[in-house]
Amino acid sequence: MPLEPYKEALLPNLNRAEYRVTSPETRRYNCIAWAAGDTTQWWAPGPEYYWPAGIPRAHTLTSFRALFAGMGYRQCATAELESGFEKVAIFADDDGFPTHVARQLPNGNWSSKLGAWQDIEHQFLNALAGSASIYGNVALLLRRPRPETAY
Amino acid sequence: MRIRPLNTPAIRFIFTFMQQPVKTDSPTELAAQFRALADQWAAETGLFSFDYQRSRHPAYQQILALGPPAIPLLLQELQERPDHWFSALTTLTGENPVPPAAAGKFDQMVAAWLDWGRRQGYIS
Repeated sequence: MPLEPYKEALLPNLNRAEYRVTSPETRRYNCIAWAAGDTTQWWAPGPEYYWPAGIPRAHTLTSFRALFAGMGYRQCATAELESGFEKVAIFADDDGFPTHVARQLPNGNWSSKLGAWQDIEHQFLNALAGSASIYGNVALLLRRPRPETAY
Repeated sequence: MRIRPLNTPAIRFIFTFMQQPVKTDSPTELAAQFRALADQWAAETGLFSFDYQRSRHPAYQQILALGPPAIPLLLQELQERPDHWFSALTTLTGENPVPPAAAGKFDQMVAAWLDWGRRQGYIS
């Protein structure tokens, strides 16, 4: 089942043949929590939300990079699937503010929690990126050795 | 000559200012105004994960501009269609009844705000 048309309209590069919805809509967790493997809480630098201790509560790529560095991620060059590694992609708007985080699945596809809406599995990062996308473009790619227990 | 893009903080502020809601003393009109703004906000920002993105939407700013009369409407909305209204409630009330251990835990955040709203007499 695809996303509702009014949601698809916000992501004009999302091709119906290249994504599928993988969860019901929920406001209990967001994209960055999902990328970190947490479906119990909403992560955000704002004072109302969960944010890991020791990471600056700043809505910046530097802060987001530090958050994932604390989980063992380091910057990498490409979004290609690399054996033994899992990757996350951090999107940012034209002003450089982080807008979205996606994580790579073992099959090379990407998994994104769309804000307060559903999770989707999408074949390409570009499905959510581009000048007309509400998420802007991929600003940072990070990888770490894939844990034995994938979530 | 380089033409600056329109999407600058100053321009956004001007647009927000221009879009201030029409103040009304009628509870019915206020509720209708709130309903339209809340629906617009939910439809256009549901894709966002961060309060930074969600709170700068014009509809959100217009709800804040309604001032304290929006507090019971926000709490009622939280009761009937739970969503991330927490920073708007904090802005309008100056309170944050969510215990630190519940930060980010949506159901507990909603419950904390609804308890607060009942104690304050905003909702039943």
